[in-house]
Amino acid sequence: MATKTSAAPATASEFLTTEDRIALLRYMLLMRGIEERAMNLYRQGKVPGSFYDGFGQEAVSVGAAFAAGPADRLCVLHRDLGAHIVRGVTPARIFSQYMGREAGVTGGRDGNVHFGDFRVGCVGMVSMLPDMMLVATGMAMAFKLREEQRVAITWFGDGSTSRGDFHEAMNWAGVQQLPVIFVLENNQYAYSTPSALQFAGDLHERATAYGFEGIEVDGNDAEAMFEATRAARERALAGGGPTLIEAVTMRMHGHAAHDDMKYVPKEQVEEWRKKDPIDRQVARVAELGTDVHALRAEVQELIDAATEEALAGPMPDPATATDRVYYEAGEDLLLGDGDAPWSGFAGGGA
Amino acid sequence: MATMTYLQAISDGLRTEMRADERVFVMGEDIGVFGGAFKVTDGFIAEFGPKRVMDTPLAESGIVGTAVGAAVVGMRPVCEMQFADFVSCGFDQLVNVAGKMYYRQGLPVNITVRLPSGGGFSGGPFHSQNPEAWFMHAPGLKVVAPSTAEDAKGLLIAGIRDRNPVVYMEHKHLYRRVKGEVPDGAYETPLTARVAQEGTDLSIFAYGAMVHTALEAVSELDGASVEVIDLRVLKPLDEEAILASVRKTSKALVIDEANQTCAAGAEVAALIAEKAFEDLDGPVTRIATPDCPIPFSPPLEQAVLPSVERVKEAARELLEY
Amino acid sequence: MPQMGVSVSEGTITEWLKQVGDEVAYEEPICVISTDKIDTELPSPAAGTLSEILVDVGQTVDVGTPLARIGGEAVEAPAPPPKAEPKPATPAAVQSNGHAKRYSPVVSRIAAEHGIDLDKIEGTGRGGRVRKQDVMAVVENGGATEPPLHIESPYKPDEPASPKGDGELSRMRRQIGEHMKRSLDTAATCTTWIEVDFGRLEAARARLGITALPIVARCAIDALREYPQLNAWLEGEKYTRFDDRVNLGIAVSLGEDGLIVPVIADAQDLAPEGLGKRIKELARAARDRTLKPDDVAGATFTITNPGQYGSIMATPVINQPQVAILDTEAVVKRPVVVTAADGSDSIAIRPICILGLSWDHRALDGALAAQFLAAIKRRIEAWD
Repeated sequence: MATKTSAAPATASEFLTTEDRIALLRYMLLMRGIEERAMNLYRQGKVPGSFYDGFGQEAVSVGAAFAAGPADRLCVLHRDLGAHIVRGVTPARIFSQYMGREAGVTGGRDGNVHFGDFRVGCVGMVSMLPDMMLVATGMAMAFKLREEQRVAITWFGDGSTSRGDFHEAMNWAGVQQLPVIFVLENNQYAYSTPSALQFAGDLHERATAYGFEGIEVDGNDAEAMFEATRAARERALAGGGPTLIEAVTMRMHGHAAHDDMKYVPKEQVEEWRKKDPIDRQVARVAELGTDVHALRAEVQELIDAATEEALAGPMPDPATATDRVYYEAGEDLLLGDGDAPWSGFAGGGA
Repeated sequence: MATMTYLQAISDGLRTEMRADERVFVMGEDIGVFGGAFKVTDGFIAEFGPKRVMDTPLAESGIVGTAVGAAVVGMRPVCEMQFADFVSCGFDQLVNVAGKMYYRQGLPVNITVRLPSGGGFSGGPFHSQNPEAWFMHAPGLKVVAPSTAEDAKGLLIAGIRDRNPVVYMEHKHLYRRVKGEVPDGAYETPLTARVAQEGTDLSIFAYGAMVHTALEAVSELDGASVEVIDLRVLKPLDEEAILASVRKTSKALVIDEANQTCAAGAEVAALIAEKAFEDLDGPVTRIATPDCPIPFSPPLEQAVLPSVERVKEAARELLEY
Repeated sequence: MPQMGVSVSEGTITEWLKQVGDEVAYEEPICVISTDKIDTELPSPAAGTLSEILVDVGQTVDVGTPLARIGGEAVEAPAPPPKAEPKPATPAAVQSNGHAKRYSPVVSRIAAEHGIDLDKIEGTGRGGRVRKQDVMAVVENGGATEPPLHIESPYKPDEPASPKGDGELSRMRRQIGEHMKRSLDTAATCTTWIEVDFGRLEAARARLGITALPIVARCAIDALREYPQLNAWLEGEKYTRFDDRVNLGIAVSLGEDGLIVPVIADAQDLAPEGLGKRIKELARAARDRTLKPDDVAGATFTITNPGQYGSIMATPVINQPQVAILDTEAVVKRPVVVTAADGSDSIAIRPICILGLSWDHRALDGALAAQFLAAIKRRIEAWD
């Protein structure tokens, strides 16, 4: 399905069709639109707790998730809403989740982006970062034990690399040569802590210390993210072990809705605004003749409808608050397979 | 039926389940080629291969965390912490990732975490702990603590088959000291308490090694009719069995080898005080190790761990109350 | 300013009804006082001339403040009633360790269920506290308010016979005495005893919530099936055996008035719980004097049980025309020798009760009596 049109602008990946490239934009528009709407809902008091977004980082999640196969498994983080959307979680369920409604992915049991619809292959995150790196490593370990052609992908931030679980996961994946892809979103800040206070040296180079490849990628280029993940996936499936993808990007909003990020120099923000991932993808597909305006409108309509649907949904029944602490009986619940929208790129397929 | 030690029973349980279910695999430090620090998995790698008998890096958080990952894609890992004490390095993964996953995401985490626990042999502060209370306190985890060879096998198999994360307290002191008849083949011990000895005048509640301490103490109390209840399962506690015993005897003595404050026995005592109040003829009494790290030198260690003498004295006092 | 009401601490003068120089009669209203509770007139505490007003209208003063002077004497508020002293807690019976008597929840509950007066019970627990076993012992012996079930050995009267009128024995006492004498004159009365370990029985009765007597009775009934020679009547030459049918007489003390032996007909059909219930019913009826003639006739075997006072053995008198009577006394913890499976001996503490059987040598021999006792012992010691 690879299409190489000489008239088309250079793509970072020869494995992307035009549809794919438009899809990438659409997913990013969805992510941004959902998060903007959710921020408004938050300010209206309809979203309890805190609200986190990945404004300006949309390419990191959308691009990487786009390269995953239906049987692959994802540990998605809080600024990676795009990955959930790529896997098929509907905007209405996402709004319900933010608002703590019954129809939310966790039914109100956990908030904001702490969700993972296991039916489409996502495992919900915990707050302790980067605990999910180990879970992804464990999934990859099982794939290898069972000799399955599947990979696990996990996202985590620059700040979390300071914790022991980063090291344990990197080491484990390296020594066992596991089919796991570590997507390190280096967005320059961990809450208010800039990189200079967080780590020394270059993050992607750390992979070498653990015996595998680490690359630095433009985190605001959805197609580059896709390609890097696709290549890492190919390597993993061929038995080449893990890859560390350092996606360099910038967190354009505060740590959460309550943070005005005064500690970030305005120039830095301005510099990165020029590299906005959506603007860049818009430029690409516009050149291919896509009606971006119509696309935006379609996305917005979807978001509006989803908002209405979510707002109409009930809050969870308090009587169920202590249900489901233990699994007692029922179907054999496992991470599902096959329902995730598949990008269908040329090199893909599990 | 075969007579075997508590340790052999654990091996037997693991082996039986691994033979029956290819999803089950064991992971831990030094468990493969070396056969485990206590030889629980001796011979396993020859039978099951290195994939299913995994020698892991020295990384407790890694062991538990990767086990969670393997479990959510359909495997049934049995992790070993080389000593129960080291579980604190994997605490976060166990309590926050494993314990809460099903509640939050509807995804059950079928892992079993074996914790060789307990003191009595100069293991010192980091090789003698009984950390079960930490995990009783964490929602979503189950905690079991066998005291007999038969239960060691049966509770392990039950734990492996349980779709929830199960913390399995295997008491090191019982490994070779306790022998018993163990049924052949696979069987699951129910997650209930067991009446180790029937009696009418006093109920002693204990688990793990303390069951044996209690039985020994009681055998030296002539003429008294004392009931000893082996709790076996700490979370969820067998409330019915505990209350039924107190209703009968009206006196309760609760023993913990763990440090006193907030040990498992504290929960048992609170339960009795609340729900068996009308049946009490004496104060609910506790014996536990005081709140200090377990010391290394034998006279110090013996002074803090609950001894047969201490239990006997407390029992006698309560009987006479 | 008077204290009007427990919580009032001040008052306000709203009106003086008398002026300086006025004559005031005793208890004549002298002023109006307002508190946050009520407005009230103050009756003058003295008679005389109002010589000085010390508190003006509208002033608020504390309770006890002088308001005016009558004839030179300051009119103070009537002294506030002495503050109600909190009633001194009736000192409950103080036990030797200085704590007021308290009963544990289970002791209170059992006492309530059986209508037992806990204050009458001697406690054997720490510091003399009443333990569960103590109240259970009372339950077993029929309740502290009820006299124990027992038959007096004619050789050891336990209560001084209180004479009616001129120092004579009561009619019932005389009748009982005649029966006893006649029995001893008729039967060749011998008594055999055996020690029984009541360990299992104690455990069982606690579990079943009954006293020991019904279990002993059941064991005796079963033993009688093995040795029916003891379940018989001997009237002169006429010897009647009742085989499996046991009408069990239970000796019930009526206090000073003596004793009576109501009968549980067909006791062989009752389990210990049923026997216990029937014993209670009959004992109550006996003490209420509501027993019918049928209730005291036809016993084929009698049990007497005075064990509450600590006596360990007795020589009961056979209840004519029966040929035997079983006596159970106190259960006492004794050191005994126990032999282990390997033959080694050690000392254990066991609850021991001595069962006594008085039997008629005209109807049977000592060997049979001993065997019968052994049969009871065996059953009690194997009780489950």
